Amino acid sequence: MTKTKKNTKLYLLALVPFFVITFLFEILPLINVVIESFTKTGGGGFTFEHFIKIFSTRLYQQSIFNSIWISVVSALAGILIAFLGAKAANAASAKVRNIFTSVLNITSNFAGVPLAFAFMILLGNVGILTLIGKNYGISFLADFDLYTINGLLLTYVYFQIPLATLLMLPIFSGLKKEWREAVGLLGGNSFHYWFKVAIPSLLPSILGTFSVLFANSLAAYGTAYALLSNNIALLPIRISQQYIGEVVQNQEFGCALSLVMMSLMVISILITNKFQKRTGGAS
Amino acid sequence: MKIKTHFGDALILFLVAAFLVVPLVLTFFYSVFTEWMDILPTGFTLNFYVEIFSDGAFINSLLRSIIISIIPVVICTISILLVLYVITLYVPRLEKYVEILCNIPYAIQGVILAAGVISLYSGKPGFLSNRIFLLVGSYCIIVLPYIFRGLKNTIGALNVRCVIEAAQVLGCSKLHAFFTIVIPQMKRGIISTMMLAFTMLFADFVVVNMIAGSAFRTAGIYLYQTMSKSGQISSAIIVILFITTLIISTLTLMIQNKAVKSTKRREA
Repeated sequence: MTKTKKNTKLYLLALVPFFVITFLFEILPLINVVIESFTKTGGGGFTFEHFIKIFSTRLYQQSIFNSIWISVVSALAGILIAFLGAKAANAASAKVRNIFTSVLNITSNFAGVPLAFAFMILLGNVGILTLIGKNYGISFLADFDLYTINGLLLTYVYFQIPLATLLMLPIFSGLKKEWREAVGLLGGNSFHYWFKVAIPSLLPSILGTFSVLFANSLAAYGTAYALLSNNIALLPIRISQQYIGEVVQNQEFGCALSLVMMSLMVISILITNKFQKRTGGAS
Repeated sequence: MKIKTHFGDALILFLVAAFLVVPLVLTFFYSVFTEWMDILPTGFTLNFYVEIFSDGAFINSLLRSIIISIIPVVICTISILLVLYVITLYVPRLEKYVEILCNIPYAIQGVILAAGVISLYSGKPGFLSNRIFLLVGSYCIIVLPYIFRGLKNTIGALNVRCVIEAAQVLGCSKLHAFFTIVIPQMKRGIISTMMLAFTMLFADFVVVNMIAGSAFRTAGIYLYQTMSKSGQISSAIIVILFITTLIISTLTLMIQNKAVKSTKRREA
């Protein structure tokens, strides 16, 4: 490495745009969120009142619980379906696999408000499947209520599947044929192969995928907002409500809620990093 | 040996694909029929598309979406290229810190970023509380991790220091060499990274809804407002937005595949 040290450090000017942007829109807002969440509403002294309110009010307890619940369940469902899908795609012919991957790539763009709308015309109060269910007496279609947390869960599972499967496909191609043959030679069957060899070797990558999916649905907002507007106890909805919406706005309280949500995000990221380090950053 | 697809595998793939495709296809059908009260829709029409394309407000919102997605991507890409210039040629140890700054946005996705930016700047004097300014800034942060990773991988595939040293021997300055030799070589990587970032911002709803709301109606906001008025027009808007995204992401994939092929060829 040649170090040509010049008298002028003019090249440092090239760093200015990057540091101005990150300082103004990342660092300062981040510091401000932390400070304001310990500030009394409307400015003034230090307080814990926002966090006391969050952890003692039913609505906010429920919001934290629902956010974690929907993220965990949709991530698990996404992983299970992605596992089956990736396993099948891995065993299928190249042509079938390519078509399947194209479907995943295309539908991975379908999320947010458009996704909520698609489910409304499918399973909403006058949705197509709901009407068919009513006309033909299929009760689980007729009685399906999209505008509940379970209905929302279905839309979350929808957007997890393409992402999860696209993350799992390359993991599956890492399974070697020889392993299966070795299990067979040692007298094992396909149950032994999957539960003693394949799944344990995939596990770190699966856990990494899980926390990507967890963060993905924790931060999701458009689908829930379009489907239920402010009528659901969910962290992102309760945060945005402190800034827009019909109730009295409380920016300091919004910051405290954001800090809670951010902690959940950071925990899931730390878990991802831990598993990726253990596998040598393979995924 | 030709691999045949087993029936069980085919069934799983079909069911997963069907679950993913049905809502999408139904949204499309919904936009081209006037009524849907039983299994099959009736009254084929393209009137909803005619209506939406003759609506100036929608066209404007679409243009707003495109412009507000392009500007932050360009700003962010240039800033990161400049940083990579300094990292690769002058201060390699800076990379660690830049990497941290580029990973923080993962933890402050969507609603948290918007909440942080509004809490800090709303009510501040001058341009700082300008909603468009705040939106552009926040959008830069949203795409920061993806642009940084994309450009870093692209520059990592080239032997920059060698190229620059060769250029210096021939009497070219580092800066000049970087912008006339290295960056043109990164062209494909830069373009595909920018397009990926563009589709992310183009699909944004949460940040624009919280920071600008109806003050800056992008196509996403326009769609949200139309949903309560007309189902069919909403589905037509969704189809238009979806096809736009699809075209861009297909082009991105094509460029990326070509880039991979050309680096492979260079290695071979």
